[in-house]
Amino acid sequence: MKGLFTGRIIRTQRLSPLSHLIVFERPRGFPDAAPGQFVSLRITSTITPLLRRPFSIMDLTGTELHLLVKVVGKGSDILAHSPCGAEIDIAGPFGGTVFPSPEKKDAVFVAGGTGLAPMIFAARTWKRDRSLGRADLVYGAGCEEELLVSLCGEDFTAVHSATIDGSCGFEGDAVALLEKLVEEGKAGGGILYSCGPTGMVRAMAGRAAARFSRHLTSLESVMACGVGACRGCTVPVKTDGGTVLRTICSDGTVFDASEIDWERWEE
Amino acid sequence: MSRHSLETKIGAVTLRNPVLLASGPAGYGLEYEGLLDLERIGGVVTKTISFEPREGNPGTRLHETGGGLLNSIGLENVGAEVFFSEKMPALVDAGIKPVVSLAAEDWEDYRMLLDATAGTVGVDIIELNLSCPNVERGGMAVGTNPELLAKYVRHAKDTLPGMTVLAKLTPNVGDIAALALAAEEAGADGITAINTVVGMDIDLAARRPVFKRIRAGLSGPAVMPIALDAVWRISRTVDIPVVGVGGITSIADAMKFFMAGAAAIQVGTAVFYDPALPERIVETLEETGIPGPLGDCSRMKGAG
Ligand SMILES: Cc1cc2nc3c(=O)[nH]c(=O)nc-3n(C[C@H](O)[C@H](O)[C@H](O)COP(=O)(O)OP(=O)(O)OC[C@H]3O[C@@H](n4cnc5c(N)ncnc54)[C@H](O)[C@@H]3O)c2cc1C
Ligand SMILES: Cc1cc2nc3c(=O)[nH]c(=O)nc-3n(C[C@H](O)[C@H](O)[C@H](O)COP(=O)(O)O)c2cc1C
Ligand code: FES
Repeated sequence: MKGLFTGRIIRTQRLSPLSHLIVFERPRGFPDAAPGQFVSLRITSTITPLLRRPFSIMDLTGTELHLLVKVVGKGSDILAHSPCGAEIDIAGPFGGTVFPSPEKKDAVFVAGGTGLAPMIFAARTWKRDRSLGRADLVYGAGCEEELLVSLCGEDFTAVHSATIDGSCGFEGDAVALLEKLVEEGKAGGGILYSCGPTGMVRAMAGRAAARFSRHLTSLESVMACGVGACRGCTVPVKTDGGTVLRTICSDGTVFDASEIDWERWEE
Repeated sequence: MSRHSLETKIGAVTLRNPVLLASGPAGYGLEYEGLLDLERIGGVVTKTISFEPREGNPGTRLHETGGGLLNSIGLENVGAEVFFSEKMPALVDAGIKPVVSLAAEDWEDYRMLLDATAGTVGVDIIELNLSCPNVERGGMAVGTNPELLAKYVRHAKDTLPGMTVLAKLTPNVGDIAALALAAEEAGADGITAINTVVGMDIDLAARRPVFKRIRAGLSGPAVMPIALDAVWRISRTVDIPVVGVGGITSIADAMKFFMAGAAAIQVGTAVFYDPALPERIVETLEETGIPGPLGDCSRMKGAG
C-alpha cells in the first residue's frame, strides 16, 4: 500500500543540460511498484514550491529507486541539483492502473521527453519477469543533447530516435517517426505503449495507433493530492452512456487511449 | 505525563478532538489511507455534495501561486445518493467522524438535498457550503447575502431536527462578521471560516487567463492571515463556536487559530503535501492542551 517515506539520494548523474538521473536508496518498507506508477516528492520543507511534484518511477530494484528529472521550473531544479546524501520526503507509489505486460508479444514503446522514464521501467520490469518479447522504442526529444539514448541502451530490441531539429536521427517528433515505421511495415500489430506530452499522445491516438491491437498510455496533469481526493487531475473517459471523469493520479495513470474522450479533454 | 483531553463540543456533537480535514482536499476521506491516520483526527469534512452528481469545471483545475494554490474544481462530486449509500458508510465503518458538507444550486435543489440528508442515519453534523467561488449558481451568491444565508440556515435547522449545523462563510465580502451574525440568528450551531479567497492568474506564454472561468479560489499559506482575521472578528461577534480554516500549514498556525478564538480547526491544502500535519497537531495539543483565546487586545500597545 502507498505510504510516506524518506528517501536518501545515493547517486546523481547529469544526462544533458536539463535532464538528470536521481537515484535514491529504496526507503525501508517502500512497496513494490509497477510500470506507470509514480512517486510524489515534497522537494523542500518550505512553502515554495508548495505542492508535491510527481515523477514516474524509472526503475525500482531491491535497493534503489530511479527517477529521471528534467528541469522545467523551481521544484525540478531543486531536485535535480540536490546533493548525494540529501533526504527527501517521498509519497507513493501512486497510480491505480498500471501497464499490462505484453506477455512476450511484440510491443512498441513511444516516448516523448521524460515520458521515457515509465517506458524504461516497463521494459526492465518485463525483461526481469521474462514477459518482454520484441520491444521497439520510438523516442523523440527536442535536440540531440536531450536525447537520452545512453539511458536505455540494453532495455529495448531497437531504439528509433527522432529530434525536432533533426540534429540526430529522424527529423520530426516521435509520432511522425512512428507513422513512418508503420508505413514501412516496420511496426504495427502488437501493443503500443506510450508516455509523453499530452499533445503527442493525442496525435498518436488519432492516427498511428489504429495499426496496433491496443494503445495504452500513461497520462500527466498538474496534481495536488495524488490520491484521487481533490479531483484536480481529471480526464474524460468514454463509457456506454457518455463520458465520466476519471482521475489521472488514482484511476490512471494508465488509460486505454481509445477510451479517452479527446474532444472533451481540455487541459 | 498526563495527556489533555481534547474533546470538543459543537452544537449537539462531541468531537474526539478539534482537528478536522477541510472539505475538498479531504475528498471522501479514505483516499488518504496509508498516508494519514484518520482515526487520530477529530473528523473529516467530506467533499461538498449536491443533490445531483456534478461534473465540475472544464480546463485547468489547479495552479500553484506564491505560497498558495488556486483551484477551480467546480464542486465535482458523486451526488447525494452515492454519497449517502457508499461513501459515508465506508467512512463511518473505518471509525471516522464525518461532517457532511452540502451545497445547492437553488432553493428547490437545496430542499431536495436536505430531504435526502434527513433520511440518512449516522449524520449528526453538517456544514453548509454557502461560499464556493467556483460555481455559477448557489455557492457564493447565497453566502454573500445575509438574508439568503439566514433563510438557508433556518431551513436546515427546521428540516433536520437535532442536526448540528455549521455555516461555512466566504471571505469575499466586506464584513464577514455580519454574515456570521446572520447565520447565528438563524440558528446555526457554529461558523466555519473561511472558504477560498477569489483570485486569478495569467498564462504569460499563452496570453490568456489560466482558468476557463478566469477567477478561481485561493488557498494555502498565502490566505492564512485573512482567515485568522476572520476567525478573530467572528469569534468576537457571535457566541457559537467558530471553526477556523485557511492556510494552516504548521502546529504554530493551528495554535494561533485557537488563540484567535477558534473552537476547532480544519486543515485543507497542507494535507496535499504534508498529510501527517493534522496528526502532529493533535499530538501537540494532547501534550499542551488547547490554547485559550486571547483576551481583549484593543488596548494592546500599538493597536490601531
Ligand atoms: C504522473 C506524472 C509523472 C511525471 N513524471 C515525470 C518524470 O518522470 N520526469 C520529469 O522530469 N517530470 C515528470 N512529470 C512532470 C513533473 O511533475 C513536472 O515537470 C514538475 O512537477 C514541474 O515542477 P516545477 O516546480 O519544476 O515546475 P513549475 O514551476 O511548477 O512549472 C514549470 C512548468 O512546468 C509545467 N508543469 C508543471 N507541472 C507539470 C506536470 N505535472 N506535467 C507537465 N508539466 C508540468 C508548468 O505548466 C510550467 O509550464 C510527471 C508528471 C506527472 C503528473
Ligand atoms: C482543491 C480544493 C477543493 C475545495 N473544495 C471545497 C469544497 O468542495 N467545499 C468547501 O466547502 N470548501 C472547499 N475548498 C475550500 C477548503 O475547504 C478551505 O476552506 C480552503 O481551502 C482554505 O483552507 P486551506 O488553506 O487549509 O486549504 C476546497 C479547497 C481546495 C484547495
Ligand atoms: S491530484 Fe488530486 S485527484 Fe488527482
